[in-house]
Amino acid sequence: MSGIIKGLIVTMKHVLHIGNRPTVTIQYPYERMKLSPRFRGLHAVDENACIGCGICEVNCPNGTITIVKYGTRWFPQFNIGMCMFCGLCVDVCPMNAIKMTGNYELADYTRESLIYTPERLLFSKEVKQ
Amino acid sequence: METDELIINLGPVHPSTHGVLRFKLRMDGEIIKDCRIVLGYLHRGTEKLGEMKTYLQFVPYTDRLDYISAMPNNYAYVKAVEELAGIEVPLRAEYIRVLAMELNRIVNHIVSIGSLLLDLGATTMIMWGFRERENALQLFEMLCGARMTFNYIKPGGVREDIPDGFIPKLNEFIDDMEKRIVDYEQLINDNEIFLMRMKKIGVISAEDAVNYGMTGPALRGSGVNYDIRKYEPYSIYPDIDFRVCVRSEGDSYARYMVRIDEMKESLHILRQVVDTMPKAEVVSSPKYGIAPMTGTASTVMTYFPRIFTPPQGEVYSRIEAPKGELGFYIVSDGTTKPYRVKIRSPSFCNLTAIPEMVKGLKIPDLIAAFGTIDVVLGDVDR
Amino acid sequence: MNAYELIVNILTALGAYEPVLNIFKAHGAEYVLKVIIVFVEIVVLMAFVLVTVMFLTWMERKVVAMVQVRYGPMVTGPRGLLQPVMDGIKLMGKEDIIPEKADKWLFTLAPFIVFIPAILVFVPIPFGDYLIISDLRVGLLYIIAISAISPVAILLAGWASNNKYSLLGAMRAVAQDISYTIPLALAAIAVVLFTGSLSTVDIVNAQSGTWFGIIPKWFIFLQPLGFILFLIASIAEMGRIPFDFQESESELVAGFFIEYSGMKFAMFFLAEYAHLFAVSAIVVTLFLGGWNGPIPSFLPAFAVPLVSLVYFLIKTYAVIFFAMWLRDTVPRVRIDQLLNLGWKIMVPLALLNLLVTGFLVTILANGVI
Repeated sequence: MSGIIKGLIVTMKHVLHIGNRPTVTIQYPYERMKLSPRFRGLHAVDENACIGCGICEVNCPNGTITIVKYGTRWFPQFNIGMCMFCGLCVDVCPMNAIKMTGNYELADYTRESLIYTPERLLFSKEVKQ
Repeated sequence: METDELIINLGPVHPSTHGVLRFKLRMDGEIIKDCRIVLGYLHRGTEKLGEMKTYLQFVPYTDRLDYISAMPNNYAYVKAVEELAGIEVPLRAEYIRVLAMELNRIVNHIVSIGSLLLDLGATTMIMWGFRERENALQLFEMLCGARMTFNYIKPGGVREDIPDGFIPKLNEFIDDMEKRIVDYEQLINDNEIFLMRMKKIGVISAEDAVNYGMTGPALRGSGVNYDIRKYEPYSIYPDIDFRVCVRSEGDSYARYMVRIDEMKESLHILRQVVDTMPKAEVVSSPKYGIAPMTGTASTVMTYFPRIFTPPQGEVYSRIEAPKGELGFYIVSDGTTKPYRVKIRSPSFCNLTAIPEMVKGLKIPDLIAAFGTIDVVLGDVDR
Repeated sequence: MNAYELIVNILTALGAYEPVLNIFKAHGAEYVLKVIIVFVEIVVLMAFVLVTVMFLTWMERKVVAMVQVRYGPMVTGPRGLLQPVMDGIKLMGKEDIIPEKADKWLFTLAPFIVFIPAILVFVPIPFGDYLIISDLRVGLLYIIAISAISPVAILLAGWASNNKYSLLGAMRAVAQDISYTIPLALAAIAVVLFTGSLSTVDIVNAQSGTWFGIIPKWFIFLQPLGFILFLIASIAEMGRIPFDFQESESELVAGFFIEYSGMKFAMFFLAEYAHLFAVSAIVVTLFLGGWNGPIPSFLPAFAVPLVSLVYFLIKTYAVIFFAMWLRDTVPRVRIDQLLNLGWKIMVPLALLNLLVTGFLVTILANGVI
């Protein structure tokens, strides 16, 4: 019995929050956890830096990336349905043009909408004058 | 009394098989006469994938083997590649690797104990465990940006250096964890029902355990003092003071206690690593590990070419993963992709001992013994 | 005095009983009024039990969440209080699946046979002063007899599902229920030896008053061993976590109700919680003084049943909380260990307890001391 009583005491301590045992739930849709700056979420491509060299395409293990023509230049297009967010494309980019944002809510209703064209990925850094 | 034999399929979709594993049990009433393990429901051809991907590309796939503790998987593969190509790794990188791996060992043991208790019907431990695991996962997220599938350790070093604010948070975690382990022990260790379920259940002798190729905590629970970190030291383990946790009983309780002890040892190792870690020198230009154009190296990454062709040859390298001995056997034919990758996964080898353990026991004992073996089906089926 | 008389008294006090009775008398049908009043009683009881059961499902989740440093249901209603309602609506909307090879009649019948005794048990339970449906002279026997029906229903459910797991679960449940009904009954009989009556009202009345003005005259102080035995046996009867073999989801997936879905599943679920409430109420009635408590004398007469009901509910919820608290602390024992515990430890101890109690009662009655 003594072991069970010991256990009962410890669980009661948690019920009453005695001694640094707070409730830790985060009510997800209403509150969110703070992501670390290095979080690997949806990609973003620097419009000015990307040269469309295709090194990311070659190095992607899953064939997520295809280089497509957008406007007058070539940019990577990501099929997030196949991506495993390993970050290799970020590592190998010679221009440091790819970065990964903190966007992790990527679920969608169709497979087509999981293909992120350059239109949805490009950003351009503001250049200080 | 004459009774008919009853064949029961436990799984593949069953709450306590930790994934998609199927036990085919020949039962005499409630007694297990024979147990056969049917594998392959989660087979993804990882070894074949290893032949299709370059050395660098395969690292994220190793995350998916044992997804509870992905960091040692990364390291085991990377260590094999480094031995194959003779790559030197900066000392600081080795420290960070050991730090990450030991943190992952704690996470693994938390999940293992939690799911064991969940199998036994006590739901509280896994929730408490996941509270601490969450803290550890946030540390991993700070370190490499991912919470479970890290792709952090790379041939030549680690992906990024430790970020600012990581070490204080880690120290906080270690202090917190020490108190939490006391809580766990109070909840579980002396609980009479837990003892009833675990003592003298799933006993396997030291000899049998060795013959079945068991490794890791499951083997050390049978009284075999075998830890690759001591037996065949790698990385910075020779410089670190730690104890190999061994128990002689060989039953489920011993295996559970080895895990609790190992968590404490891992905390001890973490403290040492944090204290003795070499200071980061000024991190040179490249933002990420792989130096893009130049040949310069940061303090945590030696130069690793984008098109990497190791010399011809073969290598088998093994480490002490949280679940046991994790080995990668790589045959290189001198091209950018390995000719053959063979993975010796601890979960698979440990799992083979289950039929021996549970003969003559009951289904609940099978569940308990299986929980203490601690397998992850991604690691078993590969 | 029971609830029927209470209703009659209230109606009389309001001046409504006589005229209504006269109306019925005019048609020579007084029994219709009786039936109506009994019907009202039953509806009130049913509503009370169902609301309590729904509250208990919410409470269970909250207690588990509190132990496990979570919040539990929070979204539907204030602090998630409406969650059971939503669950009920969801379960009603579910498809009702009857397996191809199941025995369809028994399969449909079983949930009702589980559910109805779970409600019937409440008939002789005194919720408060006057608040009892029927003060049976064999109340305790009735309770034990009624709760012995549920193993039959569980066996029916397990058998009719035609599934190995559910059959195993049902067998276990029956073995467990039978082996724990004995220490349960023996521990209860020890109480009866003190009161000399099986009526629950007599048992509660015997526990009124105090010793030395401080210690309430509850049977827990006369029967500490009996109380522990009764509590353990009743937790086993309820099939809650240290002894939840009928479900044991890690071994038998869900035990005997593995094939049930929709409202039939809900019936099992409701019956389980009704059983929890009933058993806790019985524990309170037998050992914790029932509705007894310090009732201030200045209260008007009509408030006494309400105050006693409050005392009763407080004690019952304390027992329920303990059952939930225990559930979150301990793992499940193995079925053979459970039976060993039942037959090798609990039954001899209960018999010993009965023997000692018998001696004490005889000595006290003959005034030897």
